Amino acid sequence: MPLSSDIEAVDDIFQEGKVVDGFLLGKEVHRGGMASLFSATKAGIDVPILLKIPRVGKDQPVESLIGFETELTILRALNSPYVPKYLGAGSMATQPYIAMERVNGRPLEDFIKEGKKFSIEEVIQIGADLAQAVQSLHSQDAIHLDIKPENILLDEHGKLTLIDFGLSHHARFPDLLAEEMRKGVGSAPYVSPEQIVGIREDYRSDIFSIGVIMYELLTGELPFGNPQTMGGLRKRLWAEPFPPRGIRKEIPRWLQEVILRCLEPRAASRIQSAARLRQILLDHESLKLTERADRVEPPSFWENLTRWFQAAGYEPSPSPLPSAGNQDSPLMIAAIDTRQSDAALQLKMQVAAKNLLQAYSEGRLICVSTIASTPTYEGNQESETASGIVRGHLVQLMEWAKPLKLPPERISYHVLEALDPASRIVEFAKDNDASLILIGATHRLPNKVTPWRTSMTKIVEEASCSVHIVRT
Amino acid sequence: MARAKELGVTRMAFLGDLVGYNADPSALIDRIAALVDAKQAIAVRGNHDEAIFKDYTQQMNINANAAIEWTKTQLNSAQVQFLKDLPLIIHEEQICYTHASAHHPEAWNYVTDSMSAWQCAQSSGKPYTFVGHAHEQALFYQSAVGKLIRFAPHPGDDVPVMNHRKWVSVVGSLGQPRDGNPAACFAVFEPDSQSLTFHRTPYDHFTAAEKVRRAGLPEELANRLLTGK
Repeated sequence: MPLSSDIEAVDDIFQEGKVVDGFLLGKEVHRGGMASLFSATKAGIDVPILLKIPRVGKDQPVESLIGFETELTILRALNSPYVPKYLGAGSMATQPYIAMERVNGRPLEDFIKEGKKFSIEEVIQIGADLAQAVQSLHSQDAIHLDIKPENILLDEHGKLTLIDFGLSHHARFPDLLAEEMRKGVGSAPYVSPEQIVGIREDYRSDIFSIGVIMYELLTGELPFGNPQTMGGLRKRLWAEPFPPRGIRKEIPRWLQEVILRCLEPRAASRIQSAARLRQILLDHESLKLTERADRVEPPSFWENLTRWFQAAGYEPSPSPLPSAGNQDSPLMIAAIDTRQSDAALQLKMQVAAKNLLQAYSEGRLICVSTIASTPTYEGNQESETASGIVRGHLVQLMEWAKPLKLPPERISYHVLEALDPASRIVEFAKDNDASLILIGATHRLPNKVTPWRTSMTKIVEEASCSVHIVRT
Repeated sequence: MARAKELGVTRMAFLGDLVGYNADPSALIDRIAALVDAKQAIAVRGNHDEAIFKDYTQQMNINANAAIEWTKTQLNSAQVQFLKDLPLIIHEEQICYTHASAHHPEAWNYVTDSMSAWQCAQSSGKPYTFVGHAHEQALFYQSAVGKLIRFAPHPGDDVPVMNHRKWVSVVGSLGQPRDGNPAACFAVFEPDSQSLTFHRTPYDHFTAAEKVRRAGLPEELANRLLTGK
């Protein structure tokens, strides 16, 4: 992005004692990676003023520029008692700055760093205030998307202010960070699962972040840690956090229910509005408790695995622009070994497939089986000809799928010819842009030769999508 | 135009198709010609304007052709000459104006998606490109990943449009907006503050439609003014 070279002079323009557009600059109060903050005064403005100057120009991160534009657009449009008032801005080309009200208070982050132990009541109050502040954004079509303790100021009376709108989204303005997956994804501990896969229009992302903060204030721990890799971040697409009551047992059951609901991977399973969240925090009688309230143990490996499968549709497709349709209607492949009949395994695979398809009402299933290459000569009997062999396997696949009772548009059957079944299945999944491969594996194998076991390992290693292994 | 004056507009740009669907082509051309002469406005040629002096019968539908034939009977030779003299595209220091797309303006391609907007922005070479042709308002902007993304502007909100990015504005049409709202579309750009506001303003579309009907133009054209479709 070409930028005027005048911007190099930014450090000369913004110095203590200089006047910019009538703003008399005071001390530099903060210098961060993205911006510097100066106190300022201006005739006619009787509130303390803060000038935010982006670090733009040569050798500066492009994020600070996009963040500046985004914050300028959104802060200017917002009208909320929980947001610093916008007081003016300078030309992007020559002297970029945003002037805003300098709000009293310290970041919540400071209190956490000092090791302050928050009482249950304090956390409920902060959660309720935070929900109210967030609701005031949502009701104006804005989503903060970077709610974290650093961006929450608390004054001596406990009044809360949200700052830093550099990553925010406003439905009425162009989203400059749209389709940007790497930059602007948010802060690792607090970012919602949908933000990780590049969705910036879901207001319930803020509700997730509030859940993380309340969890942290109550337990002193982060529900999903502070992952530094994309893989680590993705864990929250399926992982269930350690129940807060398992860490601090005086946390009321209802509060655990609230927090765990805020932290649901699917936005649709969370508490559906910040207003509702605040209402529940102030009067929890209206909340219906579920098993979430009673959890004290971390989820078992099996529960985790189930959640992981449920989140399979969350996997962004390998293309840089994952289409929404693919997420809502995942294609799943069930690899069925029609050469051997293990009734117990078959049943388990049927149940697994059924559950997955129930989770995704738009999901589709392809049942595949592999056979060694068919004979090139025509046999004497129908069952020996190529078409006869294929047909025989197709019939078995249809038998297998019968209990699923799927309408024809949601299921299809393929018999793949291959010497190397695993490679063929992986290739087939890739060609069809599948989200998940379902395979079965049993420990009770009839002999030492275990073709499906080695196939399974190979599929797990090579598949470009998720693999669901069903065990007996 | 009255609403634009109220908003403090100092200079107007008419993005083509001055004639072709309305019932007052003669008066309208005189008025715009006067503004252009007085350097208060600029105007570019649209495909319907060109159809007055070129054969477009194959490219246009029956109603549009009927309207063109009727319009021809209403214009004097000076007015036709005014349309002939209109440029297809105007380049200024920061801004490019054209009717359809800055990418081969004579081909009348619509700017409707990311790709067509990108081609338009590349060809214009300016931070700001303003086009008409498509009847629905849209603002295409260059995102962090470089591609142009479509945004449906909210009337009345001023959008900061900084000149280090490329912006393609489809300002919409004064009649037949095609989105079900009969109000006229226009946009106001303030170069100093680098801000752009899309507007919808109600006008007397009942009278406009009645005039179309009385002029003997196809009923369908009058109805579209009323329904905004």
